[in-house]
Amino acid sequence: MTSDNLKKRAESAKKKQAQFGEDIDLDNYEYTSSGTSEIESIDDVSSEDQALVREVGFDTSQENVSGSFIQFDTESILADVLLTQEGLEVLPMSQALEQYDWLKDYLWKAVPVDVDKYTARSELEQYNGYFIRAKAGVKIDMPVQSCLIMKKNQSVQNVHNIIIAEEGSELHIITGCATPSNVEQSLHLGVSEFYVKKNAQLSFTMVHRWSENTDVRPRSAAIVEENGTYISSYALLSPLKSIQTFPKVRLVGSGAKSDLYSIIYGTKNSKYDIGGLLSLEAQRTSGKVISRSIATDSSEIIARGDLVGLSSQTKARLECDGLLISDSAVIRAVPMLVARAEGAELSHEATVGKVGAEQLNYLMSRGLDEEEATSLIIRGFVKLKVPGLPPALQSSIDDAIKMSLEGGM
Amino acid sequence: MCGNLLETRDLRVEVNGVPILGGIDLEFEPGLVYAILGPNASGKSTLAKTVMGLPEYKITGGDILFNDESILRKTITERAQLGIAYAFQTPPSISGVKLDDFICRICPDYQCKAEADTLMGETCACKDVLYDDFERLGIRNLADRDLNDGFSGGESKRSELFQVLSMRPKIMFLDEPDSGLDYDSLKVVGHELKALREKGDTTLVIISHHRYVLEFLEVDKVYILQQGRLVYTGDMSDIPALEEKGYEKFLAEVTG
Repeated sequence: MTSDNLKKRAESAKKKQAQFGEDIDLDNYEYTSSGTSEIESIDDVSSEDQALVREVGFDTSQENVSGSFIQFDTESILADVLLTQEGLEVLPMSQALEQYDWLKDYLWKAVPVDVDKYTARSELEQYNGYFIRAKAGVKIDMPVQSCLIMKKNQSVQNVHNIIIAEEGSELHIITGCATPSNVEQSLHLGVSEFYVKKNAQLSFTMVHRWSENTDVRPRSAAIVEENGTYISSYALLSPLKSIQTFPKVRLVGSGAKSDLYSIIYGTKNSKYDIGGLLSLEAQRTSGKVISRSIATDSSEIIARGDLVGLSSQTKARLECDGLLISDSAVIRAVPMLVARAEGAELSHEATVGKVGAEQLNYLMSRGLDEEEATSLIIRGFVKLKVPGLPPALQSSIDDAIKMSLEGGM
Repeated sequence: MCGNLLETRDLRVEVNGVPILGGIDLEFEPGLVYAILGPNASGKSTLAKTVMGLPEYKITGGDILFNDESILRKTITERAQLGIAYAFQTPPSISGVKLDDFICRICPDYQCKAEADTLMGETCACKDVLYDDFERLGIRNLADRDLNDGFSGGESKRSELFQVLSMRPKIMFLDEPDSGLDYDSLKVVGHELKALREKGDTTLVIISHHRYVLEFLEVDKVYILQQGRLVYTGDMSDIPALEEKGYEKFLAEVTG
């Protein structure tokens, strides 16, 4: 698609409201017009900013990672690959688009540019982001870490990421997003497109920590080819103003597989509308959408899950569990199953409840007081075990959850 | 004669408005072994759960004394901390809480000094001794499973027993500790309880129908409940006759 054509489609969708979530007036924000500057190394990042990125699990020593990417607002970028890591590329999107002519074929291929006003606006304004690629057959053991930081008031961070796991490769990415709490109002637009080729494995782990004044509208989608595997795990643990996201995974090659895990710890007045869609488009494709939500304070959580069976011999499962621990909070679980082919086996389980009296009494009879028992039940509930995830990434999820529970309870 | 560790005085209890216990007086001395027997729905489990303080068991009259002091106003936690333990018949499952971590947490003797919040994902030093004990109870396979999640009947019994043993209570109520156990597991549980009896610092109250554990343990005193009342107090020597005749006939004869 030519870029003129893209712009035209984006223009036409400029006012198109999103299917879900509160509408945001995009003209209330400032967009960057200047280009991005590059940061040479992590040593050039101020110690204050280093502390901020560490909060979302970024390893500033870079000892156990294969590559690193940091982006501040839409302005400055650090992109770094371990010298010894062959077959891995981590580049700012602007640079990657200059370097590879073919890359524009991947731009807006998984996520259509005219989905809604957010994707449209993302295309029409200045953006940057990362391009991460594992070359064919390369197994990259240590994760690539990335981090997107918003520091400016009243502004938009406009990110477009493309991740490609070439045929037979293995790639693990951990990404954190954060806003310092002194930011008054901001908007994060993040477009992420994942391409998992034949026999490749990609895991994407996200830990978010926004400020209470940030609206977040990520738009992401993945296309998984024959026997490819895509695992996404998402932990959102801090308050924010609102988030609405509904990533879509298309399993287009036979035997493709995808598991989407999310854990939402709702606090304060935050509004969450988070979902996941698996589209089973080829035979023998399979997957799971697992979400766990805890609503405290006056938070509102909508947990959506959508399984679409378009081919025979497909199998997918949806689990949506919510725990409500405040009378002013709300959880709504919206599981959807659509089968359009005979032999599509789809199932779901959704529960929303409070901490059970039976469980509490049981733990108390073992000597725990009510508060300890409640906290143990909640900690247990939010534990997110992601099968197939490297231990280092699993422990960053565990740490993030632990950290936010300590802050919140 | 030393005083009672625990006693109930004219204890009356109802559940959802239905009277279950109609005035029961029982005494439990330190270090002895008691069996509470009786036909189904006679109030045996209700008695134990009421002593533990479970809220659905509403006390409408009488008192429960622990070391001569009423515990009616005490919370479940406080009762547990006094040294009262109850092994549940069907314990609820609690996801994300591993059995080994939990036992470390409730047991003062495994020398687990870890704070509550370090239990997430980390190991504590108590594990070696702990795993030997898991092994002895034949439930090593449950150590890193979520608490009661998908445990079989027999596994559940042994996990419950392990937990209440770990609390080192002064009195423990075991609600059918032998049901659902195969012969080997029954032996394991029997030995465990016998060892406890020999140490002599825990009062054991066993709610059961089965002769095996009671005889193996050499029960000191047998209480038989019927329709929410204590109808007979006896000892070990009554058990063969009870088994042979059944409650109805036995009680008809002894109470004449």
